[in-house]
Amino acid sequence: MPDVLPAKEAGFVDPKALMAIRNLELRARVIVEGFWSGLHRSPYHGFSVEFTEYRPYSQGEDTRYLDWRLYARSDRFYLKKFEDETNLRCYLLVDHSRSMSYRSLTYSKSDYARTFAATLAWFLNAQGDAVGLFSFDERVRDYLPARHRHGHLRQLMLALEREPAGRATNLTEPLRRVAELARKRGLIVMISDLLAPVGELESHLARLTAAGHELVVFQVLDPNELAFNFPAAMLFQDVESEKDLYIDPESVRASYQRRLREHGEGVEAVCRKLGFAFHRVLTDRPLDLTLHDFLRSRVRRGRMIRRRQQRVSK
Amino acid sequence: MKFLSPWFLLGALAVAGPILFHLIRRAARERTTFSSLLFLSPTPPKAVRRRKLEHLWLLLLRCFCLSLLAVGFARPFFAHDITPPSAAAQERRLVLLVDTSASMRRKGLWDKALSVASRYLDKTTPSDQVAILTFDQQPRTLVSFADWSAWSQDQRAVLARQRLAAISTGWMGTQLGLALTGAAELFRENSVARREIVLITDLQEGAKLDGLQGYQWPAGTRVTVERLPAKSQSNAGLEILEPPAAVAGVGDEVHVRVANSSDSRKEKFHLRWRGTNEQMEIYLAPGQVRTFTALKPPAGVQGNALELSGDDLDYDNVSYYVVPELQHVKICCQGLGATNDPAGMFYYLQRVFPATPRRQIEFMSQLEQQDAFAVISTNLAPQEIAAWRAWLEKGKTALLVLTGAESGPTLAGLLGLPEAQVTEAGGEYGLLGSIDFQHPIFAPFDDPRFSDFSQIHFWKHRRWEIPASLKARVLARFDDGSPALTQIQVQSGNLLVLASGWNPADSQLAVSSKFPPLLETMLDWSGAGAPVRFQYRTGDAIASPIVSGAAVRWQKPDGKEITLAAGAPFTETDTPGIYRASAGDRERFIAVHLPLDESRTAPMSQDDLARLGVPLGQDNEQSAALARVRQQHLQDAELENRQKLWRWLIVAALAVTFGEIVLSGWLARQVTKTEAIS
Repeated sequence: MPDVLPAKEAGFVDPKALMAIRNLELRARVIVEGFWSGLHRSPYHGFSVEFTEYRPYSQGEDTRYLDWRLYARSDRFYLKKFEDETNLRCYLLVDHSRSMSYRSLTYSKSDYARTFAATLAWFLNAQGDAVGLFSFDERVRDYLPARHRHGHLRQLMLALEREPAGRATNLTEPLRRVAELARKRGLIVMISDLLAPVGELESHLARLTAAGHELVVFQVLDPNELAFNFPAAMLFQDVESEKDLYIDPESVRASYQRRLREHGEGVEAVCRKLGFAFHRVLTDRPLDLTLHDFLRSRVRRGRMIRRRQQRVSK
Repeated sequence: MKFLSPWFLLGALAVAGPILFHLIRRAARERTTFSSLLFLSPTPPKAVRRRKLEHLWLLLLRCFCLSLLAVGFARPFFAHDITPPSAAAQERRLVLLVDTSASMRRKGLWDKALSVASRYLDKTTPSDQVAILTFDQQPRTLVSFADWSAWSQDQRAVLARQRLAAISTGWMGTQLGLALTGAAELFRENSVARREIVLITDLQEGAKLDGLQGYQWPAGTRVTVERLPAKSQSNAGLEILEPPAAVAGVGDEVHVRVANSSDSRKEKFHLRWRGTNEQMEIYLAPGQVRTFTALKPPAGVQGNALELSGDDLDYDNVSYYVVPELQHVKICCQGLGATNDPAGMFYYLQRVFPATPRRQIEFMSQLEQQDAFAVISTNLAPQEIAAWRAWLEKGKTALLVLTGAESGPTLAGLLGLPEAQVTEAGGEYGLLGSIDFQHPIFAPFDDPRFSDFSQIHFWKHRRWEIPASLKARVLARFDDGSPALTQIQVQSGNLLVLASGWNPADSQLAVSSKFPPLLETMLDWSGAGAPVRFQYRTGDAIASPIVSGAAVRWQKPDGKEITLAAGAPFTETDTPGIYRASAGDRERFIAVHLPLDESRTAPMSQDDLARLGVPLGQDNEQSAALARVRQQHLQDAELENRQKLWRWLIVAALAVTFGEIVLSGWLARQVTKTEAIS
């Protein structure tokens, strides 16, 4: 697992300028420009139920797609051609709890997370993959099944545009629900600040693995959550529970950062154990870079699988 | 410096508010929201910083402003120029009115009364004038203002206390109204501003409040009621009723009235004649008065006592009884005609006065000294007239019927005139024109139902001139204006002159329904026919039952003997019991008992006194102290109103507030600048 990704890299879209665009769909579209080719591997290679056309068979072509029934009727060889696009089923698991509304920049973690989710949705939809959505706080609030249809993306964007309102964050309950609802195996992208007790996270993640799902976890944090940079002692109010604590930042900073790091490492360890990707993203990091990270992790995973297959064939 | 409303000073505690705000303001202002406190632990704030007061000058200004407001609202004033009340205003007249009625015989009450009186005596100042009156049926002066002034200052209280200790409670009823007005009358003689009556009494509900209604109290009089706290006890009392005139002798019924006090908790009592074992059970609800027929008194005993038992208090549980005796009345009749002659007047007179069990009428033809009443219609011989006049002058009453012109010498002789002209009136008949219903003889007829005398025709009547020198009162006149019935005072006696007779030749008077009651009232008015009473209450004057003879010897129940002239009333009925009056071989017993009202021992409400206009002051010392405090408060309010220091304090508070506004504004700007720089 790489450490915290660099905040800013030259040549990418400035997140601050991006967030100034009010339309979520438009934001996503801006980021996806330049990532048009699909870099991932399809778990259902060459198979689709969407029929497009018949084509006369030429010698030397793969005989697997010959339509034998048509041959029986017409005594001619025709190849049955399918549209090769719905080859990935992706579920976006977006945290809508109020802890995501914290901001030290001009936009909140939730703005960032939703934009990233929209970007992924746009990108995957554009390359023909089915995209679904789970938004959750302490339980699943919105659920859109993974589809690739006209208007589905629009619905997904509308669901993402809702402001966070949940009073608490619970990771295990939504994961259990996802395991119930997402029957067909696919890719699950979890975008959350993960600021909740880990608890039985591992057992629920294991259930997803058992169901054949792949998981990519993005922990979205505000830069100030990491740095804990406050000028003086003051009352800190929990945005979810509204509890007050009088805290002197200087005296607790070190312990806070240590405990936050330990928490992140705990989640990461679980992910690594189960073979999932874990990324910690700060909200001042350009989104196209984050998207790039996602795709790069997909490529790396594809190579890993090929090497595993070669070892098996040997 | 004093404060009119010192409790407003508590408002100064509000300075705790600014102090607190200055301590916690920092924490209150700096608050931030954070995504999660999951990885944070609270930091205990450092003590030094917490106790640090920010903007000390601002705090001082705010505290000062609040303090000024608190002091201002407490309305301060300087008490140095209070002028003490003048000595004249301090002078007062105090009357201690001590109840000595029978109800004060309850256990412990008299000692309490003495201690209360003593307490008031101890508190007197040299300028006070004190009188002590005791009262039961009437007030009696124990210590007068003159006595008090005559005593030396250091001896006054001691001597007054000695006099109080020398007396004790009596057996009389309670005339509280008379006592209060009597005490108030003592104030009429002087012009002292403060006049106080301290009423030391058990204030029982049986006390009489006569005379208080509409009484004009001397200005400045204040009555303080010192109610003696009596333990609430069940009490009932009894009183044997005077038998009616038609009843006499042993063997007749004895009626007794029993009263149960309204705070009584018992309702079953027993009546028993003293010396007998037989008793009668009676039931009487609290607060009620009922009359019972008692058991027959034992025969052969002239005086006896009926005892009540079953209540808690004994002092009023005996009522005395004397068997009524037959009353002999002698009426001297002269010239009224024969007994059986309907044309004469005696025929009708004897029928007017029938004999009754209590009264026996004896008609005499010759005048005797013990005769009580006389009816004359004949012309008296000159030698008889002197005896008749002497008889009249002893206080006797005679009715002279004018029969014609020949009655003139008799009339003149009896009245002590040289001559009197009596003439026959003319005309067909005369009627009674005007009647003086105010006179006791005609008073019973003073009702529209009975006042019609116009049906009585007087066929004949006589006229005579009433000389101006006589003390005469015309009770009735004929319609021609001549007197019909005239009362003339002859020394202490009375002569009634009727200008017509009641024989049929003269008038229809004898056959009128007015005739018997008219003569009966004449007999009663003369004093001869009035029924003799055998039952009296303590404090009553007993009319002498023996009117003739040299002297009457009275013996009280305690054995003390007093000799009075015959006919003189006996007034020393201060003890209940059987009194004996004797003259020679004649003796008569009279029962004197406690007034039944003394048995009604439930406490009376002071509101009853207030309703009758009694100027009630404070009923105890605590209230008096309260009044002094109230007076002091009024003086303070007056002083404070004159000085109005609060205005200056409010102005100062406004000035301080202005300074605080300026300072806080300046400080806020400084803070903004600092934040902007940082």
